[in-house]
Amino acid sequence: MTKVLMKGNEALGEAAVRAGCRHFFGYPITPQTEIPEYLVKRLPQVGGVFVQAESEVASINMVMGAAGMGIRCMTSSSSPGISLMAEGVSYIAACELPCVIINMMRAGPGLGGILPAQSDYFQATRGHGHGDYQVIVLAPSSVQEAVDLMTLAFELAETYRNPVMVCADGMIGQMMEPVEFAGEPDALPPNEMGGDDWALGVREGRKRRIVNSLYLSPDELNEHNLKLKAKYDDIAAKETRHELYGPEGDAEGGGGYDLLLVAFGTMARICKTAIDDVRAEGLRAALFRPITLNPFPFADLRRAMDAIEGDGAVFDVEMSMGQMVYDVKLAAEGTRRIEFHGTAGGVVPSPDEVAQKIREILGAAPA
Amino acid sequence: MTPHGAPAATVLPGERVIALVGAYGCGKTEVSVNLALHLREHGLRVQIADLDIVNPYFRCREARDLMDAAGIRVVIPPGSQAFSDLPIIVPEIAGMLAPPAGTVSVLDVGGDDVGARALASFRPLVRDGGYELWQVINARRPFSDTVAACLEMQDAIRASSRLRVTGVVANTHLIEETTEDVILRGVELARAVAAAASVPLRLVAVMDEFADTPAVRALPEPVLRLRRRMLPPWLARARTGTRGATHAARSVPLGKPTPERFGLSRGGRCHG
Repeated sequence: MTKVLMKGNEALGEAAVRAGCRHFFGYPITPQTEIPEYLVKRLPQVGGVFVQAESEVASINMVMGAAGMGIRCMTSSSSPGISLMAEGVSYIAACELPCVIINMMRAGPGLGGILPAQSDYFQATRGHGHGDYQVIVLAPSSVQEAVDLMTLAFELAETYRNPVMVCADGMIGQMMEPVEFAGEPDALPPNEMGGDDWALGVREGRKRRIVNSLYLSPDELNEHNLKLKAKYDDIAAKETRHELYGPEGDAEGGGGYDLLLVAFGTMARICKTAIDDVRAEGLRAALFRPITLNPFPFADLRRAMDAIEGDGAVFDVEMSMGQMVYDVKLAAEGTRRIEFHGTAGGVVPSPDEVAQKIREILGAAPA
Repeated sequence: MTPHGAPAATVLPGERVIALVGAYGCGKTEVSVNLALHLREHGLRVQIADLDIVNPYFRCREARDLMDAAGIRVVIPPGSQAFSDLPIIVPEIAGMLAPPAGTVSVLDVGGDDVGARALASFRPLVRDGGYELWQVINARRPFSDTVAACLEMQDAIRASSRLRVTGVVANTHLIEETTEDVILRGVELARAVAAAASVPLRLVAVMDEFADTPAVRALPEPVLRLRRRMLPPWLARARTGTRGATHAARSVPLGKPTPERFGLSRGGRCHG
């Protein structure tokens, strides 16, 4: 496959098609609208179905309906639209249905602005809809990684019968990069989710199936929650992913460092540039980049923290007022000093700005 | 055909209004900004309008400080509206369609037929004032890799703008993964599109590092040397999202334009 130049949003659309997704339900909102725009052209070429719903509330409920039928499907939106989907996602998680949701985050709160942000971290990993449920959250840092994570998103959704959110800041959706689609066009066979024992459809003599989230009996609902909890624990044990951008390039644990940065998505790329800059000055900094925001790679982050030389600090950088930093603190369990730098509103910190903060923390002279 | 070494004025002779259209993401903004800077560098008075009602990020308004510094008039939505995703067309654009002698107006139009619709409201002015409407083609973009697809886009743009495409700009690249082969294959496709549409291939836009290769220098078409102006935040010097300085390159300080800084040398073709 020759490389093509694609916007992150378009690439996510193509990756979904190649992952065997043939059903999209969505509603436009900046900065993710290129996803539906791409799919409205692309899905008919492969016999797929594109529905522009009347709202995000409708979109997510259409997803629930299709997923309940055992059909591989997805929706995409940006922050305010994702807020509207909260109830539906809770129902889908409760019903244990697989689906993929893309959140191309923009600046909030409220209507906010259209520029990139990472301020939906809490929403994605904690408090989206109601009830004790969890969504698997993947955070790409480049267009190519967004493509690669899209296939993984469908695989995880179907393995665990759970909603998976691909959570990127608007910059990932809007920027263009050369991208390659590896392997066969359909990484997963279209519309075969393996729903042999749970998906609805024509009964043809088999036992009746019910997709349901209503459990009036407290004991039954307690049991249901315990079952979900066991699933989330299993996911947390098996599915964490991260990258350590260390002193020896990308190599895990190569060489020592005096400061560990933690960042995801676009912010992680900016941190890499900043780290390259300060390393040229002899300052030893490294980056821990969570790829799964949920399950958060607590143990791996703790190991990376334990490898910091002496009493060196951890420096969390986000395009938010400080959300992931709470998980970073949980991972540290008080063993490290945690510094934070964040921006909001669509302001994206520059590499120079991050490098300057690194110098300050390490007590080095300004460049 | 412009012979190598001919004055730049013969590369772009006397056009007063150049509107750049094309498929979404084909590089209209990079070409517009670089073309405006190039024309300015060659002594013309230049004004550029951001007519992009489609793209929410990476619009030519992001490079306004750079163009301000070069003495180019930038016409964009006022104040915080520049950060919106609303289809705002400022009234000054009407005035730009009949520029005084010695002034060139560059219009950076939004992508696809949807973006080109912004031109339709100015159709009488554009048509009567004399105009160039150039279709920018990056053959490595989706829905742009065949002559048929590019002609289909051209038809759609004509239908929505109600203006005829008068030329083609070859702009095939893969950003940092561009190779000479990628460029040359893109030129071939652009030539084929131009031939099929009976319009000239007006410019070949080529990234700086390829502009002086023998193969590119051997191209008979005028070559516009491109410096990347729309940068992602990890390559930018200043914060992204704040006014102007947004996409200033880390290696290119802002200031008065010089030929070195803008990748333009005097005389010769666009790339000298």
